[in-house]
Amino acid sequence: MDKLNIDQHISQQYNAVLDDLKTEFLEMGGVVEQQIIDAVQAITKLDDELAQKVLTVEKEVDEREMALDDLCVQIIARRQPTASDLRLVMSISKATRDLERMGDEAKKIAKMAILINETGDLPAGFSELRNLGRRVQQLVNDTLTAFARYDVNTALQVAREDKAIDKEYDTAMRELITYMMEDPRNISRSMNITWALRALERIGDHASNIAEHIIYLVKGLDVRHSSASEMQEKVQQDS
Amino acid sequence: MTDRTDDNKLNTIDLVNKNLAKRFRAEKRFQAYGIASICFGLFCLVFLFTDIISKGTRGFFYHYMPMEINLDADTLGITDTSDTDQILAANYTAVVKKAVYEEFQASGRKQKKDARKLIAIDATGYKIQGLMKTNAESLINTTITIDVLVDDKVDFYLKRIGNYGEPGKEYFNEQQLAWIEQLMDKESGGLEKKLNVAFFTSGDSAQSEEAGILSAFMGSLYLLLVTFCLSFPIGIAAAVYLEEYAPKNKWTDLIEININNLAAVPSIIFGLLGLAIFLSFFGFPRSTPLVGGLVLTLMTLPTIIISSRAAIKAVPPSIREAAYGIGASKMQVTIHHVIPLAMPGMLTGTIIGLAQALGESAPLLMIGMAAFIPDVPGGITDPATVLPMQIFQWFRNADAGFSEKASAAIMILIMFLIMMNALAVWARKRLERRW
Amino acid sequence: MNDDVLDVADVRAMNEVVQQPVVAKNKITDISEITETVGIPFADNAKMSMRNVDVFYGEKQAIFDVNLDIGVNEVIAMIGPSGCGKSTFLRCLNRMNDTIDICKVTGELNLEGQNIYDPKLDVVPLRARVGMVFQKPNPFPKSIYDNVAYGPRIHGLATRRADMDEIVETSLRRAGLWEEVKDRLHQPGTGLSGGQQQRLCIARTIAVSPEVILMDEPCSALDPIATARIEELIDELSENFTIAIVTHSMQQAARVSHRTAYFHLGKLVEVNETEKVFTNPDHDLTESYITGRFG
Repeated sequence: MDKLNIDQHISQQYNAVLDDLKTEFLEMGGVVEQQIIDAVQAITKLDDELAQKVLTVEKEVDEREMALDDLCVQIIARRQPTASDLRLVMSISKATRDLERMGDEAKKIAKMAILINETGDLPAGFSELRNLGRRVQQLVNDTLTAFARYDVNTALQVAREDKAIDKEYDTAMRELITYMMEDPRNISRSMNITWALRALERIGDHASNIAEHIIYLVKGLDVRHSSASEMQEKVQQDS
Repeated sequence: MTDRTDDNKLNTIDLVNKNLAKRFRAEKRFQAYGIASICFGLFCLVFLFTDIISKGTRGFFYHYMPMEINLDADTLGITDTSDTDQILAANYTAVVKKAVYEEFQASGRKQKKDARKLIAIDATGYKIQGLMKTNAESLINTTITIDVLVDDKVDFYLKRIGNYGEPGKEYFNEQQLAWIEQLMDKESGGLEKKLNVAFFTSGDSAQSEEAGILSAFMGSLYLLLVTFCLSFPIGIAAAVYLEEYAPKNKWTDLIEININNLAAVPSIIFGLLGLAIFLSFFGFPRSTPLVGGLVLTLMTLPTIIISSRAAIKAVPPSIREAAYGIGASKMQVTIHHVIPLAMPGMLTGTIIGLAQALGESAPLLMIGMAAFIPDVPGGITDPATVLPMQIFQWFRNADAGFSEKASAAIMILIMFLIMMNALAVWARKRLERRW
Repeated sequence: MNDDVLDVADVRAMNEVVQQPVVAKNKITDISEITETVGIPFADNAKMSMRNVDVFYGEKQAIFDVNLDIGVNEVIAMIGPSGCGKSTFLRCLNRMNDTIDICKVTGELNLEGQNIYDPKLDVVPLRARVGMVFQKPNPFPKSIYDNVAYGPRIHGLATRRADMDEIVETSLRRAGLWEEVKDRLHQPGTGLSGGQQQRLCIARTIAVSPEVILMDEPCSALDPIATARIEELIDELSENFTIAIVTHSMQQAARVSHRTAYFHLGKLVEVNETEKVFTNPDHDLTESYITGRFG
């Protein structure tokens, strides 16, 4: 046996189960991404209907999370995965939680949208929200793509982009604070926008977490709690 | 499958069922062949045994008749009872003859001659001599009643009375037949059929009524003893060396082939070898169990070596590994583990070899163990004969009394073999239980 | 990448395209490309150290240039597909291969700096120092007591009966068998259950106080409970003994060993800390083997 064919498990069923796991995860990612897009749209366009949709979809996301967790437990119990298989199961188990949290944040944005719609005010900071929303949306998309392709470079980009998003969030916050200081009557209105901004920033953090899981999955490196440049360094050292 | 009920296309199960009867018939036939073979074997065995036992049991018995014999010192020619030479040389046949004439009230030369032919005079004489040897003092000039043996022809005839055509009747004239009739009709003191103790306690003889098995039996025993003492250690040592120590090369292959071939060499060749080496070259005494044992050792060695090697090979390698694994040396592994575990197998091989040796006669012919040996051998260097040779000699004898004895000897030989096998089974059971 | 959202159909399509294994490092397609061992084959406090070991069965080479250290009181597991040479290598460590005529071992195999293949070295004391436990439980067909006492007896470790009794008891205790057999020490060892027999064999091995214990698939003939007992025992024994274990069960290697060595077609492909091997092996072949991707 001089030529090795190492792309497949001996057990076809095992292959199928792992494939299933990955597909289910990416499907859940797709649902959450759509949820985020809808939430941002709802708050910027003050679309009450869309906001309601986000709230209903949240239930589906929760169910998907539980189903994925169950699948992970099943695989661990029945297949005792090792090495890359083990890492795949572990990172999906963790990333699922991050996805679910993203969904929660989207729900918060949608709630803000409903609240703003009820009061009828048109507060400042919409442009920042729109900007950040687009970037976060792209970030989530990139994260899922990186996961689907086991692409470490994209994952690193996601981590870097998250830091950029954090900076933009800071800028937007400062702007809003200035705005609030100018006229204290704006405070209650602006607070709703800050909550939404905050939710978007959290979504970025969760995407960054998923990027870390991707790096663990592909490289077997634990890069949690390190800066983007440190991450880059570790990954380069390994390869 | 079930929806294919088309007449032309049969279901799988139908096809199976169709063939089933045929298969069962073939199975039955196959079994029948086996049963037929076993039946044939059994039939032959039963036939052989009934023949031998029916003849042989006759050999164990003999007809006696009590007779009063007057040990008259004058007739015996004894003057001094303390003189052993006189006692040994005394004319015992004269007193016996006298008693016979009285018994049959024979008068005249013709009648006396006829009467003498009915009784084994010589054998009775020896018997009295035996008695006199121990206590001549008290017996002299007295009348004793002893069981005398009838003549072997009379015995032959008596054993077959009532058989078709009365075989043996032609040996006698009218007078003798009348006497035999008279003896048979006697209420007491007439003819008696008794176990022939002399058959077990005496050696060969020219007279069939006196011939016994003991000398041949002891000869066989000594022979086996020599064979066992030589072939068992030599065979096991050779087997252990070949199996455990010998390097695997052309020489050991050659040795192995030769050993296997030796097992198939006709046994008479070993006799020739023994004749050439032990008798001609070394000058060992002829006709002795020592030489016979040496020859049979040569003959049984291949059997013992082959079966011992098989037994050693059958010792599981895991046991060897276990012993090596805790640092046992090769000799320790062999002595502590291999030999004890192989011992039952080795013993079986040895017993098979010895049983073969026990029944062997051809090589012994060559070294002179077919001689007429009336004395019981006292050791391995005394001339002796063995059971198979004794049987052969008796069968060859024209005297009808001998062929019965031969059958009886065959029974003894078979008993001997069964006992050896029982011993082997017992020994193996015992050794196996120890482990 | 466009701005559009990834919907479910896209994900499925993407998955079809990206049917690739998670990792693709040190990708090997030809066995001759394996030249050196990856990972950490060497140890600072080596009990045994092997350098450039080649093993031949006649013309056929079974082991290719293996370099490996076994540390003091370490449990090292050797795994690999059937016929990869792991058992052969293990048997070199106490010269068990000597019994096979055509087997030839070259290279340096040292036990505490002493070459064990030195022609002047006697193999009997070596095997007392490096004991072995085999795949199939193979107690001698003797009593339990005699099984354990056999080694000390042939090496003359105890002269008095009381000393021997003590050796037997401590060995059986260490093998975790004493409580089960103390009332029937003089019954045949072959009457025990498979797991007990294997523990008896371990007791027999440790009765001569070896420094290294080699185990050749010690649990492959045992049920899971007995296996768990033996694994527990290995863990306890590793406090006092250096243990090298060959196993077909990757889970077992993962459970009992400190380091794991992966053999492939006679070559030592990877040696690493066990946790590393089972979560993130360095070599692609190791990865493929432990995840079940051969075939």
